[in-house]
Amino acid sequence: MFYRLSGVRHFSYTGDRSLYRIPFERNAALALLAAAILAPWIIGELTLTSLVQPWLIWTSAALGLNLVVGWAGQLHLGYAAVMGVGAYAGTHAARSGVPWEIAIVLAGFASMVIGSVFSIAALRVKGLYLALTTLAMQFVIDWSIVHLSVVSGGALASLRAPDMSLLGFEINGTAGLYYVALAWCVLVTIFMMNLRRSALGRALMAVREKDYAAEIIGVRSFVFKLVAFAASSFIAGVSGAVLIATYYHIVTPDQFSTQVSIQVLAMVIVGGLGSIIGTYLGTALILIMPGLVAALFHGATELFDLRIGVETLAHLPNAAYGALIMGCLLWEPLGLGRLYHNMRSYLIAWPFGYLKK
Amino acid sequence: MEADGEEIALRCTGIERRFHGVVAVTGIDVAIAKGEIFGLVGPNGSGKTTLVNAITGFFPPSSGEIRLNEKVTTGLAPYRIASLGVARTFQNLALFNGLTVLDNILLGRHIHMRPSVWRTALYWWAAQAEEAANREKVEEIIEFMQLESVRDELVDDIPIGVKKRIELARALASEPSLLILDEPMAGMNQEETEYMARFILDARDERDVTVLLIEHQMDVITGICDRVLALNYGEMIATGTPSEVVSDPRVVEAYIGGSREPV
Ligand SMILES: Nc1ncnc2c1ncn2[C@@H]1O[C@H](COP(=O)(O)OP(=O)(O)OP(=O)(O)O)[C@@H](O)[C@H]1O
Ligand SMILES: [Mg+2]
Repeated sequence: MFYRLSGVRHFSYTGDRSLYRIPFERNAALALLAAAILAPWIIGELTLTSLVQPWLIWTSAALGLNLVVGWAGQLHLGYAAVMGVGAYAGTHAARSGVPWEIAIVLAGFASMVIGSVFSIAALRVKGLYLALTTLAMQFVIDWSIVHLSVVSGGALASLRAPDMSLLGFEINGTAGLYYVALAWCVLVTIFMMNLRRSALGRALMAVREKDYAAEIIGVRSFVFKLVAFAASSFIAGVSGAVLIATYYHIVTPDQFSTQVSIQVLAMVIVGGLGSIIGTYLGTALILIMPGLVAALFHGATELFDLRIGVETLAHLPNAAYGALIMGCLLWEPLGLGRLYHNMRSYLIAWPFGYLKK
Repeated sequence: MEADGEEIALRCTGIERRFHGVVAVTGIDVAIAKGEIFGLVGPNGSGKTTLVNAITGFFPPSSGEIRLNEKVTTGLAPYRIASLGVARTFQNLALFNGLTVLDNILLGRHIHMRPSVWRTALYWWAAQAEEAANREKVEEIIEFMQLESVRDELVDDIPIGVKKRIELARALASEPSLLILDEPMAGMNQEETEYMARFILDARDERDVTVLLIEHQMDVITGICDRVLALNYGEMIATGTPSEVVSDPRVVEAYIGGSREPV
């Protein structure tokens, strides 16, 4: 069969730790990447810009959150605010004439600094208290963005982001903007894949599993939690800036509200803590959720002659996120990534299902 | 007690540890020579784990002084003490679930590696060689502890006897000079216990470690320890060679009076 570990031999420790141990998986990943690169010619412009591109950007962002929640095991309820810092920092930098490629990096660093400062305070407490502290951070940042008119230009204002250009090339077509998002998503994905096989990733997981046992082998848990928050904030900041530069084109205070934080957290939890492919799947599900729910209830109203107010309809996706998160935590705590993993294990052993794995 | 003329790996002087007024250990004076296998015995609740926690920095002593290789380490954080060459295993197992056996043992190499964000990002250029070099050390230990067959399994689904071995492997991976084992044979059958005793002896002989071993089974203590310290109610009641300690009337009394079977 094509999907096998047996017969695949690695003769060096480096080979044994390659990103894809099964050749089929490596080929599949390369094929997917090729499809992603050819996407502007394969799928329609509308699908590309309104579905695929936001999916890639939100996946990058969610991978950053997964670094903190899934790898380091620290609940974070203020992630959207950190993205917001990057979005505003990047937009302001670009508006004042800084080239976008630098503005985006600046956005990452701005988020990293603010996210780390908050987390130094937040990491003095654990578990639920940490979650509440990060939620407080969300409120503080939200409030600051709205009330500091130097940042937002006022509560109801929206700032236009200058057109995207990278290294002197104007990027204005849909395909160009899509490639920027794709490139960022690929970079974050590769980083996360390396994390899985690196000393840093192991240290983070050690902190997540048993912080006292981590200390005894020399892992300073406080430092590594901080590193996780800093790295994740950097990813958040760049993702926020990319979101504005290639997708929203204007930045407003409500784009990075508490509700968005919950949405990204739902992407991570539904996708699977610590799972990269799961994050892709979870993000897709959460993004199409409002559409699905609306369609479902639209159908239901027609069928059963229900009367559901617009108000209620607007809140239904939130209820659905909540239900999904709860369902995941109850039945499959490792989310869609786990389902994928089970399928993979089944395929590896197929048709000898009685073998372990 | 002093072992004259020898190099001292661990020296505790006047160690006392209280928990909210409860005295868990007090008046501990002990010096362990390099290369010794030193036993620590005593009935349940006599303060063995508390003493180990004081040495490793989890619960620093309320008073007294600890020296590692004659360097004062009293009050240092556990991660600092780890980097000074102390490794330990836990009475109730402390492996990292969700990680493979290999990754668990690789984590034992943490103090010899330089984990960082940029090394992770630039893995191929900045981390790959380091990973391979440390993997080689880990493979030596895997072979030494005979864990080849479970290398790629998650530690979650592994039987307890093997888990104890993995934890010892993780501790050995850091190339410690002092290895502290808190009841490494608890929950093992006779055969596994004998294997474990063999691993401990080999670790001392081949890997130059000094061992502080907490164990309830007296045949293990008499079988592999060079010297033994017995505690009761947090105080030292006997020290000396295993046969001296085991036949000491206060030790016999402590065990008969205690919750355990007499030896
Ligand atoms: N963190 C703590 N807080 C309060 N009391 C503690 C703590 N740790 C230990 N003690 C107390 O100190 C005493 C010694 O306990 P310790 O765990 O060191 O005994 P032990 O010799 O390791 O016993 P066992 O053979 O059961 O492992 C006990 O009375 C225990 O209740
Ligand atoms: Mg104990």
